[in-house]
Amino acid sequence: MIRNNKSSRRPRRETALPYLLIAPTVAVLLALSIYPLIYAIRISLHTGSGEAARWSFANFARLASDQFFREALAHTFIYAVVALSFEFLLGLGLAVMLDRPLRGRSLFRSALLIPMMLPPVVVGVVWRLMLNPDFGAINGTLKGAGVATDSLTWTASPLLALASVIAVDIWQWTPFMFLVLLAGLQAIPQEPYEAAIVDGSSAWQTFLHVTLPLLKPAILIALLLRTMDLLRVFDQIFILTEGGPGFSTETVSLYIYRTAFRFFDFGYAAAMSFVLLLLTNVISAGYIRLLQKQETA
Amino acid sequence: MSERPITIHAADRGHARRHDLRRAKISRALKYVLLSAALLAAIGPVYWMVTISLKSEVDQFASPPRWFRFAPTLAHYYDAFFTRSFAKYLTTSLTVAGLSTICAVILGTLAAYGLARFKLRSKLDQRLSLWILSTRMFPPIVTAVPLFLMMRDLRLLNTIASLVIVYTALNLPFVVWMMRGFFRELPRELEEAAMVDGDSRLGALIRVILPLVTPGLAATAVFCLIVSWNEFLLALVLTQTDASMTLPVGIAGRVTQYEIKWGVMSAAGVVAMIPILAFAMSVQRYLVRGLSLGAVKG
Repeated sequence: MIRNNKSSRRPRRETALPYLLIAPTVAVLLALSIYPLIYAIRISLHTGSGEAARWSFANFARLASDQFFREALAHTFIYAVVALSFEFLLGLGLAVMLDRPLRGRSLFRSALLIPMMLPPVVVGVVWRLMLNPDFGAINGTLKGAGVATDSLTWTASPLLALASVIAVDIWQWTPFMFLVLLAGLQAIPQEPYEAAIVDGSSAWQTFLHVTLPLLKPAILIALLLRTMDLLRVFDQIFILTEGGPGFSTETVSLYIYRTAFRFFDFGYAAAMSFVLLLLTNVISAGYIRLLQKQETA
Repeated sequence: MSERPITIHAADRGHARRHDLRRAKISRALKYVLLSAALLAAIGPVYWMVTISLKSEVDQFASPPRWFRFAPTLAHYYDAFFTRSFAKYLTTSLTVAGLSTICAVILGTLAAYGLARFKLRSKLDQRLSLWILSTRMFPPIVTAVPLFLMMRDLRLLNTIASLVIVYTALNLPFVVWMMRGFFRELPRELEEAAMVDGDSRLGALIRVILPLVTPGLAATAVFCLIVSWNEFLLALVLTQTDASMTLPVGIAGRVTQYEIKWGVMSAAGVVAMIPILAFAMSVQRYLVRGLSLGAVKG
């Protein structure tokens, strides 16, 4: 009798259960991801504050003529493209070297991961210490080797600052590329390689025609995740240069931060953040289409 | 991680000419040189920070730089954690990371189970999963501005609660995707058997399924701890008082001052780094999977 009762109740409970399990997560994300987005749309479409606030497109119109915003966009693009290229090539090289069994492999692998795991603020501190013109290890070592270091002020020089922050990004994130690509390499089965050897292809040909095509999904995922992070870069630059000297390392995220929390122009900051969001979405959609093509091919 | 069998190498070696052998030796030596350079490049700068945290000011500013020979002192650690407020920032960081991880793991695991095991009407389960993932794709600066205004309206600025709430939301999509993957790897028959034996669905989840996904759950929790511990931008925006700021914000505040105490800053940096390195080593097995949100199963 009791068992009967239970089994007749179960179907109803089962249909409600998944919704009950999912509801709290959906509620939290609606409140803290979607509502803020709607809030941001609202403030971006207002000018003036308090009683005087009015609906207007002024914030978006201002974007078109804001030379600083254009410059910040340019910095972000340069930063992303240069860092991504170096990180990919270096990461791929390291992954290829550590793909085959090698004495000390796990030591190399663990040590190479350290930069990536560090808190970005600590990375900023580390490189402030390395790049300091007066007592930094880099200039100290160069001076010891007889190089004139007077003009090498790194993050303090308008010419070298952007290159310096990009180099720090490469230092921190090459390990990520390395790790994902290594996992991708190790997932490639043995047979295609054997076939290539039977065909008599050289190591380089095998790499180009066997390894790279099979590695493509891992490459796309690594590039996608890295690109999204590069477009939003903030932490290390904030510690290293705060966007300076002058405006030379100001990226979009830093400019939005400054607009909102130094000049308290929240509406304009929100308008700019939509451009950043749109940009991120368009680029990631491109990658995802490539990935889907890959899967169906 | 599986080691690839080296049968081909062995077969080659059998009839390899001396020329090939020498080339293989050179290429292996080159490999070690390059890898050692990469190793030094990865660790050297971190080691430099550690030495600065242990050096007296005289040794810090010495030229040429002193990599090994200096008289170590713990004065900067004492200064940072006893005379300045870094101990307070450290406690705040630990509290925020711990509480937000607990909240995200509990909520996210339940949702992941619901999404992994039930087919909902009109593919709602798949659509919800993708929507949850998409919320993680927003650049943090996009939500930082409205979150600041929301927290100001709720009078939660400069409170630990604001960070716990925000970090829970930050980690939720990750927990859902990771745990959904782990649940899907288990056969459905496991719970069905337990339910035939009279267990309720939740009972089966707690008694049968959770013990099986414990390693994955632990790795997921560690990833949440790392993200919350490292997060900077939202903490910078939401907490500006000594009583509420996290360690990264505290360090950043010192770095951007005019007169910088390099030793104190490095000491704080070292302390901020240590738990992360311990965590990272403990989840090595799941690292690739975690970093790619489950997309690449390393």
